[in-house]
Amino acid sequence: MGRKAKDILVKGVIYLATGITLSVLLFIVGFIFVKGIGLVNWDFLTRDYNEKVVYAFIESNDVPLNIDKQSLNEKNPYDKRYETHLEGPIYVENIGAAIAKVSYKNHSTEREQFVITYIEKDSPLRSAIDSTGKEITIGTDYIVQSINGNDFAELTLAEVAATIADESGELKVKIVQPGGGIKSNIITTLYMVLLSLIVALPLGIFGAIYLTEYAKPGRLVNMIRFAAECLAGIPSIIFGLFGMAFFVVVLKFQISLISGSLTVAIILLPVIIRSTEEALKTVPMAFREGSLALGATKLQTIFKVVLPCAVPGIATAVLLSIGRVVGESAALLLTAGTVAQIPGTLFSPGSTLTVQAYYVAKEEGNIELACAIGIVIIVIVIVLNILSRITSDKLDVFNKK
Amino acid sequence: MQAIKRKKQKETIIESFFLICAFVAVISVLAITVFVFYNGIKPFVSNSYPLWDFLTGVEWRPGSNMYGIFYMIVGSIFATLGAILIGVPVAILTAVYISEMAGSRVGKMIRFAVELLAGIPSVLYGVFGLGIIVPYVLKISPMAQGESLLATILVLAIMILPTVVSISETSISAVPKEYREGSYALGASKIQTIFKVVLPAARSGIMTGVILGIGRAIGETMAVMLVCGNPIAGIPTSLFDQIRPLTTNIALEMGYASGVHQELLYSTGVVLFIFIMIINLAVNKLVKAKVGS
Amino acid sequence: MDANIKFNTKNLDLFYGDFQALKAINMEIREKEVTAFIGPSGCGKSTFLRCLNRMNDLIDSVKINGEILFDGQDINGTIDVINLRTRVGMVFQKPNPFPMSIYENIAYGPKCQGMKDKNQLDTLVKESLVKAALWEEVKDRLNKSALGLSGGQQQRLCIARTIAMNPEVILMDEPTSALDPIATAKIEDLMSSLKKDYTIIIVTHSMQQAGRISDKTAFFLMGEVIEFNETPIIFTNPHDKRTEDYITGRFG
Repeated sequence: MGRKAKDILVKGVIYLATGITLSVLLFIVGFIFVKGIGLVNWDFLTRDYNEKVVYAFIESNDVPLNIDKQSLNEKNPYDKRYETHLEGPIYVENIGAAIAKVSYKNHSTEREQFVITYIEKDSPLRSAIDSTGKEITIGTDYIVQSINGNDFAELTLAEVAATIADESGELKVKIVQPGGGIKSNIITTLYMVLLSLIVALPLGIFGAIYLTEYAKPGRLVNMIRFAAECLAGIPSIIFGLFGMAFFVVVLKFQISLISGSLTVAIILLPVIIRSTEEALKTVPMAFREGSLALGATKLQTIFKVVLPCAVPGIATAVLLSIGRVVGESAALLLTAGTVAQIPGTLFSPGSTLTVQAYYVAKEEGNIELACAIGIVIIVIVIVLNILSRITSDKLDVFNKK
Repeated sequence: MQAIKRKKQKETIIESFFLICAFVAVISVLAITVFVFYNGIKPFVSNSYPLWDFLTGVEWRPGSNMYGIFYMIVGSIFATLGAILIGVPVAILTAVYISEMAGSRVGKMIRFAVELLAGIPSVLYGVFGLGIIVPYVLKISPMAQGESLLATILVLAIMILPTVVSISETSISAVPKEYREGSYALGASKIQTIFKVVLPAARSGIMTGVILGIGRAIGETMAVMLVCGNPIAGIPTSLFDQIRPLTTNIALEMGYASGVHQELLYSTGVVLFIFIMIINLAVNKLVKAKVGS
Repeated sequence: MDANIKFNTKNLDLFYGDFQALKAINMEIREKEVTAFIGPSGCGKSTFLRCLNRMNDLIDSVKINGEILFDGQDINGTIDVINLRTRVGMVFQKPNPFPMSIYENIAYGPKCQGMKDKNQLDTLVKESLVKAALWEEVKDRLNKSALGLSGGQQQRLCIARTIAMNPEVILMDEPTSALDPIATAKIEDLMSSLKKDYTIIIVTHSMQQAGRISDKTAFFLMGEVIEFNETPIIFTNPHDKRTEDYITGRFG
């Protein structure tokens, strides 16, 4: 084969390879968006993952319907992906709300249920309290299951409406807050990011200051650098094992927010040390000399001249770290657990977005939901990527001068 | 004089504080090693399970006290090798395109895409694998399920792309312009120059990328867990067999294991750890060799 | 001992690792004079200058033998290095203002020494800028970044920054080598006017500059001081053949 033909062939192979790399990315991102976008809406972001049963106490009070029947029929806030309309809605005066019967079906369960579709402005439902006297909010997508002990299962919508209308005085209504949302995972992720940064950021920055500003080349520095490299190379499942053995078992922190964030803090160390070091190295030696020649101490030089110049680099480190925490899963699976709840204390478990995506894909086989969570994660990753591009561009200022 | 002395003391104290912060990295590595090894070696020292059976066994049945990880080691190695075989050529050629052939704007765009690919959490690769790759593998597979060595290899091959691309690309770009000019001046074509001069000159950097890619593949847990099948026994003999890499063994059962079962999961971690350490040392050697030359 | 001697070095040797950069330097530098160091690149003149306020401490591999007496006190002995540097200021080859405002650049040194009073700082900033002949040019933009100034202005800012510390000695390491002729002339004028208040030691590549501004000149070659004398003597009647060769441009 001639040289030219050969060159063209090889070029073709190179284009093909690049095409594969790019299309893989497009394909993955595309798959996740196409599969998951149907689930992403405001409710998805603001609801808890698990349904929650509450007993609401209300004072029955006849409230006439203020809007016409026709527009009542148009108010159907139920979840169209999981729920199909069966009957109704019927307006019940003594609770000032309309109820419809729907059939609910997701990847694992199928049932019929009664959902609130409309709540009148003066409805007693708006001033509901729970058994401890605390006010609770009842929304138009909530499910009603029983009133004063009369269970609605097996009833028709008309029977349910009649049962409710028969009761008077103080009513005890069993209500289910719909789940399927990722609010708790978003909040857990935020907690995890904050806590791990609080621990890792000062350690990493001060460590980097030691390495660039103080350390004299020698065994000690080599050791620290080697350790940082090792940390960067250890797979996260091993960090998980360590976190489990040390934080969870030896320190008795349980599987919890604190165990998870401390484990992740160790994972972040090399990331922060490396980017801070790089940032400190871009600060020209002349600044340090100028400061020292003016009689500033080393510490004054570091904090007043060197660190302010390195701020964009440190910001990049923070952004990279956030990305790392958001993406982390194996280590957190073993140390922070898979419970989709907002951790009440440092010692309660909670699952981050990524762990939740794994959990619903693996344990519930719900790829759609995993992809919907994936969309949220990818959006975060893209935003972080763009921000870190901006901050690292800022860092080059001194060298361009 | 007193004030100067106090100032000096303060500086020394703070310097020591900085040193301690830097030293946390060393302490962490030591602590991780000690804790994982301590827990992992326990069952063999206390004779609650024979080391030989652990390393050579091909069945993992905690219920009947059988804990063999040989088939997992084989699974891990096969999956990693397969991923390297597919991923590395694609990655290196992509790196060549970015640094040698693409214009600066296109190159920038592709680089951004690769960075994005690196930023996607591994779980999502797993979800993608489970949603797309596994069903397709099932279509061509003689087996009853799509979770398989092949699916694992494909997911891992995608996952090592960004690592290998970005490191190779950096080292290819670092090859001095004079080499290329020298080659052109001798009448070589662009492609000849790339493959005969540039790539060999960037060899050690590319190797570092490949080894880091191996590290990523062998240590990957969550993505693999979703697509590998996790069987309780059997050395994989075909691409369509299910596998259970070392990493997923730990992640799957750590949550509820106790006693010897739990300790042997740590032992699995030790085996994985040793693999990773060998890889780390290799990277270290390569990087040093590069600095040396 | 002569009270007018500011610096007195005795048998000063300096090593970078195994390489000996300074060999047995003996030199007396007088108060309120301009002393110039000349010599070819790598002859040790900058290294010697950096010994005088211990900037060489920043380089790990440096080892020093011999004595450097500053007002009769050994600067490598018990003296506090921070204190030394407030008394012996330095201006560098490339202007190196900090990436802060003009005002903050001048106030930086005094603030590091604990000066907090705003009025005091304001006065000091103005005085220093006036002395450095920069006040008229920057008085309306004291809060703008110092990096926006021209090279010559930046260098005068660095001189002003040094003056603000009210040092006894100002070391200048080729302060005009990065500047154009006009900016250079301004800095040279400035040096002549500063001479009455400060002891100035300057390293320069330009023999004309040394001739124009200095009272004494030392000629360095390969780490040794070949000749140290009144500037007119060095330039018109050097005692050493090598000095003469260098001055007349036979090497360098």
